[in-house]
Amino acid sequence: MVGAPLLQLAGVEKIWPNGTVALRGVDLTLHAGRVHGLLGANGAGKSTLIKVLAGAIPASGGTVAWRGELVRWASPRAARAAGVATIYQHIPLVPTLSVVENMLLERAGGWRADRAGCARAAQVASLLDNPFDLDALVGDLPIGTRQMVAIAQGLMADPALLIMDEPTASLAGHERERVYAVVRLLAAQGHAVLFVSHFLDEILSLTDEVTVLRDGRAVLHAQTADLDEAAIAAAIVGRSVTALERRPRAARAFSNPPPEGEGDQPQAGGGVLSTSDEARGALPLHHRLWRRSPSPSGGGLIENPPALELRDLGSPGKLAPTSLTVAAGEIVGIAGMLGSGRSELLHAIFGADPAARGAVLLHGKPIGRTPEEAVAAGVALVPEDRATQGFVAGMSVAENIALPRTGLFQSPVQEHEAALAAIERLAIKVQGPDAPVGELSGGNAQKVVIAKWLTPDTRLLLLDEPTAGIDIGARTDILRLIRGLADEGLPVLLVSSEFEELIGVCDRILVMRDGLVIAEVDPETTDEAALIQRASGNFPSTGMAA
Amino acid sequence: MMQTTDWRAGLGLRKAGIYYALLILLALLAGIAHSRGLPAYLSAQNLGNIAYQASLVGIMGVAMTVMLITGAFDLSVASVAALAAAVLVGLAPSIGFPLAALAAIVTAVSVGIFNGAIVQFVGINAFIVTLGTLTAVRGLVLVLTDGRSLMVEQPEVLQQMLAFESTRVPLFWPLLALAVALSAWAAFRRRILIGLAGLVVAGLALLAGQGFAVAAPVVYLALFTALVWAVLRFTVVGRRIYAVGGNAEAARLSGVNVHAYKLGAFILSSAAAGFAGVLFGCRLGAINPTALQGAELTVIASAILGGTSLFGGAGSVLKTVAGALLLFTLTNGFNVLDLGASYQGLIEGIVVIAAAAIYTVGGNRRRAA
Repeated sequence: MVGAPLLQLAGVEKIWPNGTVALRGVDLTLHAGRVHGLLGANGAGKSTLIKVLAGAIPASGGTVAWRGELVRWASPRAARAAGVATIYQHIPLVPTLSVVENMLLERAGGWRADRAGCARAAQVASLLDNPFDLDALVGDLPIGTRQMVAIAQGLMADPALLIMDEPTASLAGHERERVYAVVRLLAAQGHAVLFVSHFLDEILSLTDEVTVLRDGRAVLHAQTADLDEAAIAAAIVGRSVTALERRPRAARAFSNPPPEGEGDQPQAGGGVLSTSDEARGALPLHHRLWRRSPSPSGGGLIENPPALELRDLGSPGKLAPTSLTVAAGEIVGIAGMLGSGRSELLHAIFGADPAARGAVLLHGKPIGRTPEEAVAAGVALVPEDRATQGFVAGMSVAENIALPRTGLFQSPVQEHEAALAAIERLAIKVQGPDAPVGELSGGNAQKVVIAKWLTPDTRLLLLDEPTAGIDIGARTDILRLIRGLADEGLPVLLVSSEFEELIGVCDRILVMRDGLVIAEVDPETTDEAALIQRASGNFPSTGMAA
Repeated sequence: MMQTTDWRAGLGLRKAGIYYALLILLALLAGIAHSRGLPAYLSAQNLGNIAYQASLVGIMGVAMTVMLITGAFDLSVASVAALAAAVLVGLAPSIGFPLAALAAIVTAVSVGIFNGAIVQFVGINAFIVTLGTLTAVRGLVLVLTDGRSLMVEQPEVLQQMLAFESTRVPLFWPLLALAVALSAWAAFRRRILIGLAGLVVAGLALLAGQGFAVAAPVVYLALFTALVWAVLRFTVVGRRIYAVGGNAEAARLSGVNVHAYKLGAFILSSAAAGFAGVLFGCRLGAINPTALQGAELTVIASAILGGTSLFGGAGSVLKTVAGALLLFTLTNGFNVLDLGASYQGLIEGIVVIAAAAIYTVGGNRRRAA
């Protein structure tokens, strides 16, 4: 069918020094002139595989054959010299330099812009049908054009293989089309392309072959023509174990109350977390550590408003005006790919997006549009990137947990006890409350970020990828905790790329794409493959959220 | 067990190095003075002098430390202090000392609000903005003074100003009381480091003798340092100051008003500079338009000697004061012992770099461990 393979991986393994196994023997064969799609869920090993191919990290086992010869690239430079160009997802360009200078960055020599280099840059640009002005500053270009610059930079050395890591993840529709056109053009010119993507529709329309990774193994090799979205989605999901058993609805005290509060639910209204004296003994530790002030809106109301109501909440360019309600004790999942507007929705609710417009009502009362006011009203956000948004690395566990507390004085004894209680309740593996959070592993640091909000003052929990990059044990702990908090009456909005988790814990799931809630699905009647299809395919909007 | 490792780490080079450096320098200078047959270097008189000379830089350094902890930077402090001194000396003859001092501090605070507002709301880097105000405010001083020295000539106003700045405060009994309080706290909480601090204070008091007294600015420095230290150590505001510098986004998403804290740091820095300027104006009853030129670098050097990170999130005001004392001990030693003033700048610069190197290398080792 095709000639000798350009690149052939056999049994490639990667074991990190801490014992984590990222790749468990991957086989992959790439041919010149063909576009090869690489898919897999988060943590399946895609990024690791790309880094091995790019020479950024050495493989622990297996062989890499390049043009039929066994190779072992010790550095990205060696891989590039051999003819492998990698375009990373977060486009690493220098925004203060011009396009041509970015393209010449890797070039050795004495002059800043030598004539041969500039000529080559112009040649590459014309190859791509001149998508940009060579003298424009990269910082002034829109994101889609920057992606083109990154591709052009990769093509400067005329590579035989171009690896593209989710090149369309942050692009709008028409910008994606340009990337597709370039990929087709490159393949037609005889380059091999390894195209990594979350989007099934583009994989189907663009690639010739597909490899799906799961848990560090290649579980599917096939010609794209023999596949459909459902088959790929099934391969991505596999028969992986479900971390959480779904409990039947009837067993849950607070799940899915009638859509318009009927007034006879004892937990609705403001007082969902207020504790009677008899109940206090049975509640988890945090209720005893912080005494909750009586809720101003509790009791006496005939019609209970929903715990959370959004009215036309939107942010220009990021989030279409969205209206939805969440009942007390309900976990609403948000399924969407990177850039679908899922984080933007949570940030808009939390007041962390100054451009957001619309109203957020918590138990019928509008809340302020800044994070301070949101926190004061009882809204808690566990952000997506814990290291840059979630914790202060230099501060201790106790100090991080105490960060949202207000008042005049620190209360070391109480904070110490609260930290000890959180360490025990969330099974945080740490020497003690005084250890700096920066030294903890990802899962334990994430538990600290969540513990920050485990106070009775919290009346709405917003979770953005709370289990990203976390091992399965910690993940199960966190999901159980979320379910438990909801069962105590907390409304929860949960964003996750792990759709299996959403199906496991949510009461209903909203699917987002391109800043828009495109569907609402019932987790009991859907499966992960169907969710992946909805979030990543161009499905018609079936059930726009009210 | 936690406690033992805790206090041992507290005595390590990284945590307590600045105190050791200060003690070693004092011992060295005392030795040189002794060997040359000069009057005793470690006299109460001379130590009081060093503290007096360091007081203005110390006051500005404490506020600068708060500024650095929040992750910002203020180069304009010395110019602001000079402006405050000029306002004081210019207005005191007509409206009296207390009102003139108030006007001086209000002027200083308004520069701080200007700095902070531009940094926070226009988004220009603090280094650039305060470099601008450093120059512009110094220019304003020149305009206000018309390029000449101003002085207060009314004897009664001058008297008030001198009383504010030069009154000598007896310190023997207050120091002993402080030592007793520290020891009691140490015994109650089982904190070895605080006990050590109590012993050092008691030793100093006994060494200095019953007649020990210092000029008022030293007391102002001590009170201001104690206040800021307590706020940083014990209050929620203190924790949030560290959080804002350590990870502004995490602090914001925890409901901390990051803008208010950063603006507050600029205001505190300028207010402290204004107060230092008032003290400076009172010291001479006069102001020369080039007064305090370059002092901002000494202020920042003190904070760096004290281990404050220029990237925010870490720093201690007590160590900044120790850093200021160390720099002024160097100056004082070169003068008193006549070691050749030409070497002074060279040695000071090397000390600052060496200190930063110790902190950085120590920090790297800790991260690697």
